[in-house]
Amino acid sequence: MAGNDLKPINTDQIRALLKQKEASMKLRLAACAGCTLCAESCFMFMNKGKGQDPQYMPSYKVLNTLGKLYRKRGKVSRAELERMRQLLWKNCALCERCYCPLGVDLPNMIAFARKILRSQGIDETDPKEPST
Amino acid sequence: MIYNLARGPFVWVAVLVFVVGIVYRLVELLRLTRKRERVLWPTRNVRADSPEERKLRPILSFQHSLIGKHPVMAVVSGLFHVGLFAGPLLAKGHNLLLRQSLGFSLWSLPLAATDALTALVLAGVLFLLVRRVAVPRVRAVSGVADYALLLLVAAPYLTGFIAYHQWLPYRAVITLHMLTGEAMLMAIPFSKLGHLVFFFFVRGFMESEHNVGRGDRVWSS
Repeated sequence: MAGNDLKPINTDQIRALLKQKEASMKLRLAACAGCTLCAESCFMFMNKGKGQDPQYMPSYKVLNTLGKLYRKRGKVSRAELERMRQLLWKNCALCERCYCPLGVDLPNMIAFARKILRSQGIDETDPKEPST
Repeated sequence: MIYNLARGPFVWVAVLVFVVGIVYRLVELLRLTRKRERVLWPTRNVRADSPEERKLRPILSFQHSLIGKHPVMAVVSGLFHVGLFAGPLLAKGHNLLLRQSLGFSLWSLPLAATDALTALVLAGVLFLLVRRVAVPRVRAVSGVADYALLLLVAAPYLTGFIAYHQWLPYRAVITLHMLTGEAMLMAIPFSKLGHLVFFFFVRGFMESEHNVGRGDRVWSS
């Protein structure tokens, strides 16, 4: 656990991964009009978020993980990745039920963001919670 | 000077950037999804509905649709987009200029109708702006670009509205109207306004319960 905290972020590796799907992911991020109408399609938003908390909204999760990674060109701190872990695993079950009125393929973007985080040793296990 | 530029060469530049930009975006979209996959589980419901289901389905699909969940947003957004396109395309002044320079024009609406459509667009912008600021979940995904683009969309309609009513010095306002209109046109292919094109295509590319067609295109990069 401590070793995980100390391990530096490999920005080059993140960049290489971002590059793999750059064209299509950027196109999808550009296609999001920020209308927030995807919110109700997420059962996490409706239940855990009580239909209120934006942090469970599919577009919020995508824009603040994958969108942020592209915006910062992979230069993110471990704390930022840790926050993304929350959004990508705790706030999302990747049930693939989210629905975008403009047709943006949201689950695919979440899955790709998860892949990038995994490359940095971050996955669903919370370092602060004892593993069961 | 600026008036002549805005009325002449800038129009061509804006239209060229708009058309080339949209074609570029479309080619990119088609190129990236050229590969096909085999769809193992077609999403179409093949089982016949029971009588109860047949009765319930329209009600349920209405409740789950955008208009059932967000009736106000769906109606305002719908009307806003109608005004957005019909306003400028069917404006008498625009079509007059089009006929003068190219020899052809579209069918025009009466002046009062265009005026009403413009007012509709401006009301829509106001609604979307208030929604962006006041609704927490919309604010959470709003950045500077979202506000800037909304204002960029409003600008040509607002200046057009003011120019038509001749409330301020006409020549200055109409120049501003042309410049902001040209700026908006050029921004469409390269910003979130690009949903003008994407809207019609992306649904055909997805494999989902809401898709149109087979949804077997695969993003290749």
